[in-house]
Amino acid sequence: MDITLLIQNGIIVSLIGTVFAGLIGLLFNNATGRVLSYSLLAFVNAIGAVASFLFLTGKESVSVIGTIPFGFDVMFRLDILSSIFLLIVTTISALCAMYAIVYVAKYEKVYHLPSLAMATALFIFGMQSVLLSMNIAGFMVSWEIMSVASFFLVMADKEKASIKAALFYLVMTHLGAGALFAGFFLLSNGKLLADLSSLAVTAQALPPTSAILALLLFLFGFGSKAGLVPFHVWLPEAHPQAPSHISALMSGVMLKVAVYGFLRIISAFPMMPSWFGILVMVLGLLSAVFGVLYAVIETDIKRTLAYSSIENIGLIFTMIGLALYAFNNQQPMLGELCLITAVFHSVVHAVFKSGLFLTAGAIVSETHSRSLEAMGGLAKRMPILSGSFLILALSAAALPPFGVFYGEWVFLQSVVGAFFVVATNPVFTGLLIAALAGFAFVGGLAIFAMVKLFAIACLGEPRTEQAAHAKDAKGLLLTPIIILTGLIVLFGAFAPNLLSILRADGLVETQGVSPMILVPSGGSVTPMFLMGLLILCVGLVWSLRRLFSNVKNERPYHTWDCGQPITSGMEYTATAFSAPIRFFFRLVLRAKKTVIATPLLATNPWIAKRTMVVETNTIFSQYMYEPIGKGMIWLSEKVRKIQNGSIQLYLALIFITLIVALMIAL
Amino acid sequence: MNSIIITIIQGLLVLGIAPFAMGLVRKFKALMQGRKGAYPTLPYFTYATMMKKEMVISKSTSWVFRVVPFVVLGTTVFLALVLPLVGMGGVLAPYADFIVVSAVLAIGAVFLVLGGLDSASAFGGMGSAREMTISSLVEPVMIVTLTAFALVAGTTNIDGMLGMHPVLTLSFLSLILVCLAENARYPVDNPATHLELTMVHEAMVLEYSGPYLAMLEYASALKLTVLSLLAANMLFPSMMLSTSVWVYQGMVVPTILLSGLIAVVMTVVKVVVMMFLLALLESSIAKMRFYRMQEYLSIAFFIALAGLVIVLINLV
Repeated sequence: MDITLLIQNGIIVSLIGTVFAGLIGLLFNNATGRVLSYSLLAFVNAIGAVASFLFLTGKESVSVIGTIPFGFDVMFRLDILSSIFLLIVTTISALCAMYAIVYVAKYEKVYHLPSLAMATALFIFGMQSVLLSMNIAGFMVSWEIMSVASFFLVMADKEKASIKAALFYLVMTHLGAGALFAGFFLLSNGKLLADLSSLAVTAQALPPTSAILALLLFLFGFGSKAGLVPFHVWLPEAHPQAPSHISALMSGVMLKVAVYGFLRIISAFPMMPSWFGILVMVLGLLSAVFGVLYAVIETDIKRTLAYSSIENIGLIFTMIGLALYAFNNQQPMLGELCLITAVFHSVVHAVFKSGLFLTAGAIVSETHSRSLEAMGGLAKRMPILSGSFLILALSAAALPPFGVFYGEWVFLQSVVGAFFVVATNPVFTGLLIAALAGFAFVGGLAIFAMVKLFAIACLGEPRTEQAAHAKDAKGLLLTPIIILTGLIVLFGAFAPNLLSILRADGLVETQGVSPMILVPSGGSVTPMFLMGLLILCVGLVWSLRRLFSNVKNERPYHTWDCGQPITSGMEYTATAFSAPIRFFFRLVLRAKKTVIATPLLATNPWIAKRTMVVETNTIFSQYMYEPIGKGMIWLSEKVRKIQNGSIQLYLALIFITLIVALMIAL
Repeated sequence: MNSIIITIIQGLLVLGIAPFAMGLVRKFKALMQGRKGAYPTLPYFTYATMMKKEMVISKSTSWVFRVVPFVVLGTTVFLALVLPLVGMGGVLAPYADFIVVSAVLAIGAVFLVLGGLDSASAFGGMGSAREMTISSLVEPVMIVTLTAFALVAGTTNIDGMLGMHPVLTLSFLSLILVCLAENARYPVDNPATHLELTMVHEAMVLEYSGPYLAMLEYASALKLTVLSLLAANMLFPSMMLSTSVWVYQGMVVPTILLSGLIAVVMTVVKVVVMMFLLALLESSIAKMRFYRMQEYLSIAFFIALAGLVIVLINLV
């Protein structure tokens, strides 16, 4: 069979099969239907993953998948950029669906499973078709399917906090979608069936002010979906409330769809003002710094991961912003490298973040609490899961020898190299310093956040009864996590090869950058050898220790306790662990600590029961969203006055609106 | 071949001299404080004794506790092999890229922290929280500092960065601040204390005993040696082993012996001098309160940034 045809059919199977799997789940409300539905979902997405992988390793750069007839002219097409992201979407979706088979059964009483299955399938379908549809109408419809389906998924457990988060998410995502619509309208001159590839032509004809307006609208639209500061406030609320496999999809994949949209659109603007690149970079750095600081001080396992997603999206947008600025200032080499590392980071982030969310789901299903303070001692009780958790957390902290490290390494190397080229341009140099210092700062704190996440959850003594009786994950719950862990280790060993598979050089119009560049400081350094050398050093120490001392010579005893029995209440908690950072960055974090003392004895005020509450308020919700919300309520109160129920007044209002609209239009 | 010999000589010498360095700094400190002090060779006997002792492992710990000593010592051995300490241009030198080196240092710190938390004692947690804070905030300082060195040298590999340039004065200062913090020395940490209010490094290794403790102590001695030799080499890179001076007018063997001997002697001299300076510093300043560490770290960060800016201005 012809390989092109194989790819086309594979992707069509994956699209249709996804919806079909959802329908099965919706119609058959029993265990068999559920298993069938999620298995089908996993299977067809795996086919889609294979198809997009074949496309990437193949030679073609564009492949038409099909068109929807009946005058809609929605064209489904695959090119290199969309196939990279489609590969992420289908791979992670397949693994999450596999995970869901066992996972949702544990929550039969919490979720309405048939509608959960349908919404999951629609969510995945929406993401796939956003990547495939190549005209504005198709893009926006798919975008809406993705957004609305994920809205229902966030409120799947119907708890008050979930509904609140979901509504907030709905408002933000629709503000974003509105901005996207407006941007597309400006860009395409109102032709909603225009092909995305034709936008580059129409963009050139635009007057500069409308072009800038469109750019800003797109930045807001995609940025709010991606969780860019200051449009990120919904993200740490919404992502953790969804079921864990959905959180994995939202954080790992949906954010990447927004990155894809942004990359797709900015390629349509050959001439964009220099300051736009700076703006993107500044927002990216802000997101990275805020995301990582809150990830450090957060004590909820899934919220920590959500904040870490904001951080990583920030890093990706920093790279994109620097790339835009570099393209604008005649540094295409640096621009391409930044773009490649941005895409690379998107891929690795999808892998480790969904792995971490699935791990968190497996842990929470045992401990029945999302708070890190309710965990502890899991490494002993869940050895296999905690082993994967450690590897995923270390890779999330961008430590070698795992994949994430290489992206950041190459980025920092190219920044250092660029100093020589742009030394005469003070603004460019300033941006490079900001990128370097920002990445280094965020990198250090990301280590803190990930160590806190793993150590407080898995080490020491269990802090609750549930954590003490936790059992290791097994079977289909564990397999996807192991696969994702394996992927991130493989990415570590084969980082340069991965880049050549991604055909990242095809992303940019200018002449391709050889992936050899991914081998920093000459050809003698390979990630695989570095990994081997590290393992060799540890192995050397291990064998020397066996040689020089008796392995059996040990005895178990309790931890040194100063003569008083030690309890889990004496351990360091997540709050205590991050206290130094809370203190050092108190100007930014504004955490409020309140100690409430209730005296137990009337005679001695020092003998008291003390409880401590640490409150963290983000500056953005305090100074930006709350005033806006209050303003909206105030405005609504005023508007209510003209809604007095009299028909005549409403007719008059309609008439006035009509006249004003006509005056503006003519 | 030559580069392999360089790495082997360096590995053996640095791994061998590390306990001596640790003993030396203690001896110097004792002398400055008017005490007699133990022989500088005492750590060799301490480690050997600990290797023979029975280990007491806390029942609260998991497999992570047992992985920690190997990873901590393994990453330190990695640094001792790749960095230019005794000779330049060793076979593993391509891996001395400064971003790799700072990341490998971070791995060691991360695992120490995990070991401290695994015993479920408040001491371990306290030390771990402090160590994590310091090392996560020192990492950016280190990267910015070494970027300045990289820009002057024209390479991101530390192997090519040795040698001082006047514009690097500030960067060198911040490098010293980084090394002090990384090694848990004054004014960041007091290596001689077991008082819970002040300790950082010692608190994390409190639950370790026997061979594991020996490995962790040895790792910290090794790290001290590696980083002080690195700082010394940044100032005086001359008379180190290198691949170029080996064949001199056809006289291969004597040159090898001679330059090897000179490099070894120089290394020992550097270690003695650096340990003396460290002891002098530790005897003349006080340890900082932990919650004032932000001042130390932000000063280090801004010195590093200023150093980078000066280098960049000079680059134009």
